[in-house]
Amino acid sequence: MSETRFQRMKDLPSTHLLGAGTAMCAGCGALQALQTIYDVLGERTVFVNAAGCMTLLSVYPFTPFRGSWLYTAMACAPAGAQGVRDALDILIAKGRIPPGEDLSVVTLTGDGAANGMGLSSTSGAIERGLDFLYICYDNEGYGNTGQQTSGATPHGARTATSGAPHGHAGFKKDLFSIWTAHRPAYAATVIGAEPLDLARKVEKAASLRGPRFIHVLAPCPTGWDFEPSEMIDVGRLAVRTGIWPLKEYENGQVVHTRTPHPRAPVEEYLRLQGRFRHLFEPEPDAETLGSIQQRVDDYWEAAG
Amino acid sequence: MYRIRLHGRGGQGMKTASRIIGSAFFAEGFEVQDAPRYGAERRGAPIFAYVRASLRPILERGVIRRPDLVVVADESLVQVPAAGVLQGIDEHSLLLLDSLEPAEVWQERLKLQGPVLTMGSQAEGSSELPTVGARCAGAAARLVGVISRSALEGAIREELAGLGDTVVASNLETALASFDAFASDEGRVCPPEEAQLAPHTAPAWVDVPHDAAGISAPDVHGAATSVQVRTGLWRTVRPEIDAERCHGCSWICSTFCPDGAVLATPEGVPRIDYDHCKGCMICASVCPHHAIASVLERDAS
Repeated sequence: MSETRFQRMKDLPSTHLLGAGTAMCAGCGALQALQTIYDVLGERTVFVNAAGCMTLLSVYPFTPFRGSWLYTAMACAPAGAQGVRDALDILIAKGRIPPGEDLSVVTLTGDGAANGMGLSSTSGAIERGLDFLYICYDNEGYGNTGQQTSGATPHGARTATSGAPHGHAGFKKDLFSIWTAHRPAYAATVIGAEPLDLARKVEKAASLRGPRFIHVLAPCPTGWDFEPSEMIDVGRLAVRTGIWPLKEYENGQVVHTRTPHPRAPVEEYLRLQGRFRHLFEPEPDAETLGSIQQRVDDYWEAAG
Repeated sequence: MYRIRLHGRGGQGMKTASRIIGSAFFAEGFEVQDAPRYGAERRGAPIFAYVRASLRPILERGVIRRPDLVVVADESLVQVPAAGVLQGIDEHSLLLLDSLEPAEVWQERLKLQGPVLTMGSQAEGSSELPTVGARCAGAAARLVGVISRSALEGAIREELAGLGDTVVASNLETALASFDAFASDEGRVCPPEEAQLAPHTAPAWVDVPHDAAGISAPDVHGAATSVQVRTGLWRTVRPEIDAERCHGCSWICSTFCPDGAVLATPEGVPRIDYDHCKGCMICASVCPHHAIASVLERDAS
């Protein structure tokens, strides 16, 4: 990525496009990542927002954005993006707006929409080659309604709908692979705690056309039960333990942009979060902890 | 009918307090409604909960506009317009505040006709926050005067059962101490005579012409209008930058602030936007030079 304008932390913007005063929780990992994403994308951006936490960004008459924002139902943000893209193309074709005033279309959804009910409209949009950027902020549950289990909830986590003693029995869906199986123009995983990696990937995604995917792991103080001040620490540990691999897909190839070496034990990440407390108290749940570690080890072994 | 409105910040346990009061009323044979108001129940943001209790069927629904008792878990909410703490308070309404300042100060400051009570001390740190709700529930139970100590205890055990014995024990201790502390104010809450429909005269009918949609629901063309919402009022702790220690690497604190509330001056010196900072304290945790301190909001200059 030698052509990037983000060589070091100092190159990240210190003034932000996104307005303050939104209703997101204090310490929100999704909002923190969105700050940099919006700074890199720029204000000539239309956001198509599926129902979720981020719906509360724009509560009439207030908006943190500098351009248009469209609210859709949970399942159909990519369909909304198609409508916006088509409208822009038609207006340009008819000469109603000059090509220089084109806008980029960005879908913003949570993991509930991205992994679950929005998956079929996403698949359809990629299939049609829609020129859009899909951002999924993944707080690993239905955060806006009290953190019920979603398709992105990790194994062993306690949610409003998966309780003790072992937490969620299923495993986090591999949304990145679902996307890359469609052979999109670009796909990447990012996290706000690694802002330089995030800025470079968003910069690259913005330079391409066609369906593009940015998957943001969004540590959630409210839903994951940790102190808001620890949000960045939790995010860094997600990377250092190898639980959240930072990677990108382009031209049929997956490349890891960060390989944690040595990998910290997953317990360091899990222990910070109340949603995994039952794995440590009153007695350590060695079996569940071991299986979480094993899956991470297996992933990196396969990744080579 | 008793109408109780509870105000707090997300995370203080006021929704749970409403459930405790509701269950205690129920145990005393009342018909009960208890419900939080759905909205953005964010940690630190103003939240509302309502309790209605009556010995007759409750036909009323929705928010409580004319409360008999208003319980406020966080005195800083009084100045937040969106919290609507004083909405519908008249000379019959009792206002109970969790505040260090005496009731007379609040009575004078807010120019209230009705009675005001204050209690306890505000929580010193976040670790004590969860019992604020219990303290409010205990006090409210005593103030209505129709809830026994045992009914309150039973309600707490029932509502908090899923949280483990330690949490139940600490909440019980706080709530019962609060219940006992308000012994001399037992029964201070006086529901007014129920309003009757019969003598009510409908106001004269006024025809208002329809406005065009563009006038009645105008488009917002302004950019970043959210800055008009002062989320700084959510804060209980604030970051303060020590200019001596700050090395001016504003891209760090500014990038990690979720709310864009760390601004850089043209010289690159970071400055906190206290109108919007929610007090998450991420800036303090990521500052490589430990130049950002946590200061309790009420101790802030």
